[in-house]
Amino acid sequence: MAPTTFGWLIILCPAVGTMLIALSFKRLPARSAGWIGTAAIAASFGLSIAALLALLGHTPDHREFTSTIWSYDSSVGVDAKLSILVDPLSVYMALVVSGVSMLIHLYSVTYMTLDRGFNRYFSFLNYFVFSMLLLVLAGNFVLLIVGWAFVGAASYLLISFWYRRTTATGAGIKAFVINVVGDAGLVLGTFFIFKHTHTVDFVKTFGAVDHVFAHNSPDLVAGCLLLLVGAFAKSAQVPLHTWLPDAMEGPTPVSALIHAATMVTAGVYLIARMHPLFEQATTAADVGAIGGCLTLLIAATVGLVMVDIKRVIAYSTMSQIGYMIMAVSVGAYSAGLFHLMTHAFFKALLFMAAGSVIGAMAGAQSLDRMGGFRRALPFTFGCFVIGGLALSGLPPFSGWLSKDDILAFLDHRGGGFIILGIAGYVGALLTGIYTFRMIFRAFLGEPVEEARELEHGHLHHADVPRNPMTGEEEDTDVGFPGPGHFIAERELPMKVAMSVLAVLAIVGGVLQIPGVDAGIERFLSPTFADSHLAKELPSTRADWIGLAIGALIAIGGIAVAYRVWVAAPGTATRLRERLAPVYTLLINKWYFDELIDLVVVRPSLWVGRFAQSVLERVVIGDVVTGGTTGIVRAGSAAVRRAQTGFLRYYAALMIVCLTGVALYFLISSS
Amino acid sequence: MIAITTAAHDAATHQLTGPPIDWSSLSPLVALAAGGMVLLLVGLLRSELVRERIVPALAIATFGVTIGLCIWRFDHPASIISGALRIDDLALILDMIFSVAGIATVLLSWRVAAPAESGQGEYFGLLIFSVLGMAVFVSAQNLVTLFLGIELLSVPLYILCASETRREGSLESGLKYLVIGSVGSATLAYGLALIYGATGATDFSAIASALSAGKLLGGVLGDPLLLTGLGLVIVGFAFKASVAPFHQWTPDVYEGAPTPITAFMATATKAAALGVFLRFFDVAAIGAQDKWAPMLAAIATITIIVGNVGALGQSSLKRMLGYSGVAQAGYMLGGVVVGTQLGIQATVLYLVAYLFMNIAGFAVIVAQQQVRPDGDDVAALAGLGARNPWLAWTMTISMLSLAGIPGTVGFIGKFQLIHALVDGNYTWLAIVLVVGSMISLGYYLRVIAAMWMRAAVPAPVPAAAAGGGGGEPAFPPISGGAPEGDPESSFGNGAPGSGPGSAPATPSPIATLRFAHPGVVLVSLVFAGATVFFGIFPSPLFDLASHAGHAISGIF
Repeated sequence: MAPTTFGWLIILCPAVGTMLIALSFKRLPARSAGWIGTAAIAASFGLSIAALLALLGHTPDHREFTSTIWSYDSSVGVDAKLSILVDPLSVYMALVVSGVSMLIHLYSVTYMTLDRGFNRYFSFLNYFVFSMLLLVLAGNFVLLIVGWAFVGAASYLLISFWYRRTTATGAGIKAFVINVVGDAGLVLGTFFIFKHTHTVDFVKTFGAVDHVFAHNSPDLVAGCLLLLVGAFAKSAQVPLHTWLPDAMEGPTPVSALIHAATMVTAGVYLIARMHPLFEQATTAADVGAIGGCLTLLIAATVGLVMVDIKRVIAYSTMSQIGYMIMAVSVGAYSAGLFHLMTHAFFKALLFMAAGSVIGAMAGAQSLDRMGGFRRALPFTFGCFVIGGLALSGLPPFSGWLSKDDILAFLDHRGGGFIILGIAGYVGALLTGIYTFRMIFRAFLGEPVEEARELEHGHLHHADVPRNPMTGEEEDTDVGFPGPGHFIAERELPMKVAMSVLAVLAIVGGVLQIPGVDAGIERFLSPTFADSHLAKELPSTRADWIGLAIGALIAIGGIAVAYRVWVAAPGTATRLRERLAPVYTLLINKWYFDELIDLVVVRPSLWVGRFAQSVLERVVIGDVVTGGTTGIVRAGSAAVRRAQTGFLRYYAALMIVCLTGVALYFLISSS
Repeated sequence: MIAITTAAHDAATHQLTGPPIDWSSLSPLVALAAGGMVLLLVGLLRSELVRERIVPALAIATFGVTIGLCIWRFDHPASIISGALRIDDLALILDMIFSVAGIATVLLSWRVAAPAESGQGEYFGLLIFSVLGMAVFVSAQNLVTLFLGIELLSVPLYILCASETRREGSLESGLKYLVIGSVGSATLAYGLALIYGATGATDFSAIASALSAGKLLGGVLGDPLLLTGLGLVIVGFAFKASVAPFHQWTPDVYEGAPTPITAFMATATKAAALGVFLRFFDVAAIGAQDKWAPMLAAIATITIIVGNVGALGQSSLKRMLGYSGVAQAGYMLGGVVVGTQLGIQATVLYLVAYLFMNIAGFAVIVAQQQVRPDGDDVAALAGLGARNPWLAWTMTISMLSLAGIPGTVGFIGKFQLIHALVDGNYTWLAIVLVVGSMISLGYYLRVIAAMWMRAAVPAPVPAAAAGGGGGEPAFPPISGGAPEGDPESSFGNGAPGSGPGSAPATPSPIATLRFAHPGVVLVSLVFAGATVFFGIFPSPLFDLASHAGHAISGIF
């Protein structure tokens, strides 16, 4: 079969899954919705592998396939079609998305078992995977925008999954609104580009870019900056990042899937896909690189002080995506996408392990209440450490090879990019610190009550379920988290999913080892064949120097964390007191929420209130609508009053009107 | 003047010979006249079978034959009987509209009190004569034939309105129509006389040439005699087409008349009046267009506003459709005002559309009246969607089409009218039309909402209705039996058993049935189906309309 056939089937499987679950949710027995969902994604994954093999069957120069099954509109210069583009990049993304999704579906089958919204959860989750696969396989801007908006909707549905938690619905709305800002950016950016290229098709657009746009032409830069707005909103980059920490209100597997491994990397995919545009609009590319760099630093610093275990990982996600955005903006495409894949492995693993810890804590998420789970949760501890080491970039874990690949590329490009590279190393140091702060606080030290109970075989259950954010008492009915809590040690599906990811987090790096093998780079090179930046790879020696520096910095970070939280407990408190202003800044997340509130939310609210109280109520409601209906009503009353039913009045009125008509003609004659 | 004198001269010098008659072209009219007379005679037979079955069947057959003959004569325009009548495509299309309305009326009259009370032969015979009058009216090519036509169409209608002889409302309706109609006819006759006086001609073509000659010399056009005549003719026609401010008889007469006759008047009479507007103003008086067009446009505006505004807040469906008909006449007048090919075509198209959608609506009212005594009330429609979805759907289609919602023939018609108005530099009138349509949604949608969104209310017992709905005292006839908004208070008077012993042998058919008669439901379904069908595939109607338009352009 042609690779595009596989492409269509990859999209079709989760679509069928979500429909099947959604339409028959009332009749599905027990856990079958979960297994249907998992099977659908597994089929997608299998088909992605088939697509990969089909691509490899062609010579590298001929690995780009498009397929159109329907044309929405091909008139007045618009060529909107239902078409997909199957090339190494889209197949690579489909593999990562469907592979990680499959494992997280498997994990969820157990994790969500007792939730009253079990079937709804899996239909949403399948819908998300469908949207994400549509996004990465789209062959034109229109379908990309559709997939882009769909993943935003799926994200909203899953963040607000526990819809009777006010914190969850609030977080969902926040995520949706910020993502819509990104959607608008994407649509407008598309327009700027379409205006000159007169096509929305990817292949035709990229072919036309060099003839149509001059280097850094204003319209192209504007278009690319607007695309960046879309990418930044979806990938939670400063200043459109504030929704991601709040998105942790969703179920933990959702955080693992959508808000760590897949959806938030859509921005990285977008920039990589649009690389011919960004290479022509270097100003926009620089903005992207600086934005990514700022994000990686800001998020890493906030990650140092957060106490909610999921939020620490969320800020870590932002920070790591900052690396990727920076990478693809400066031309390190294969390095950035390589990091995207390894990050998907170890970050999903970290979230799953965190989910297991939260299960052991009966839903509590604060690091302040955790401690000493090392013996109670040996498997989880192992997975968490593997994920943490990969995240920190310690050899030989996958994160080490991928992250330092990016930084080596930056150093290689020289000039101002060296500053970005140094910032990246600072971020790496911070990464080591916050990651192991989390591990040391949750797993080492004196076991808390829950850990001690678990060592004796009792899984702690809270008497009253509480919202981990506000401490409010909650129900366990539909719309709230279910009553059950699960730990990986006891549930096979969770264990399997985490084991696979743990192995991948360790060995995933072998795909690209400088001087040994460059699998990712070689596989993706047909997509980036037209890029001049992608060919400027650093030498193997420079690569290894970078890797060595990265390894040292990671060890340094972990050492600092060990010194502060294990060797000399109390250091953290002293530091907090001594650096009070810095701590205040960080614990308030650099005041971004307040800034956005001041600059955007309050003026919008004021305009909205004005529109409601003055425009809507007075102008529209009273003057326009009220006035019109009043006139019509008065007219109706007048007509009916004239309709007396008396014949003499009718005749009289007729004569009067007749006289009027005759008079008109007489006057007009003179 | 010259034409008349030569004709008189011919008649005087030669032996008394009639003008040559082209019988084939005249055949539709002949068929109607013959059918009407046969019906009158057959109706005299005492057999119940004959009166109940054969007479209506013969009436349908007459209309059927007429339609057949119209199709046969299609595309053979001819001026016959010394140019008194012109049988062209416009006339033939209008004749077909009248005949289709006639057939629908016959079917709707099944088991209604009126034919039984006034005699089957008379009732259906008069119906056919009225159609004959309309056919003469719209074919007329000179002033005398025109007047003959209007009288021939009006007099049977006066009687038909009063044909439910034992119901006060019906009698009142007939009398009101007669008195006000006389005023209208007198006005028209006076106007025709003045035009004859000014131009010295009765033939339309001679009037037209006198006007165009007058245009060059600046003579006749400034003549107060002619202009007053034109004004009076406008009033006379406006009365027949129930155009405001000469519409006031319409709601009262529509409400009082037997519902099938109301449906007939609403569609056929309106088509006849609008057809004559086209014939007279766009052929005979086209030379004076800059004189009468502003007046007619002003009247159209008043009509659209008054009709739509008046229909709001009516509780009687027939009154509401009466006002709605007033507004629709205003829309169609727009096609006359512009005086272009496009205007003529749009008006004819709208007349056909109006026939379909209005008959569908009236058929539902007839069906409602068969099953409950307060069937004319909007409130009585509540719950019809659950009770009888077929009828509810046809009513919904009818209302949506009258409002001009896309997917129905009403939209196509309104679209063409707006097109014609904008094309003819009367954009402001098109805006008035659209605003009127917006207001009209207020009462059309109310009907739909009542059918689908409200729970059914039980039908009141006839005795309670006879006591006067809503506490209103029963008005005596003539002096205002139908105050606005009052439910048909006199309905109970026609209830079974209230009549004297001289009642016809058949039991009074107004007795409420369990189910509406299938024939009535069929009519409503067929016409609603046509409304939707031509709303989606309008090209046959466009063909018809362009034929009608070319019929008139041949004369220019």
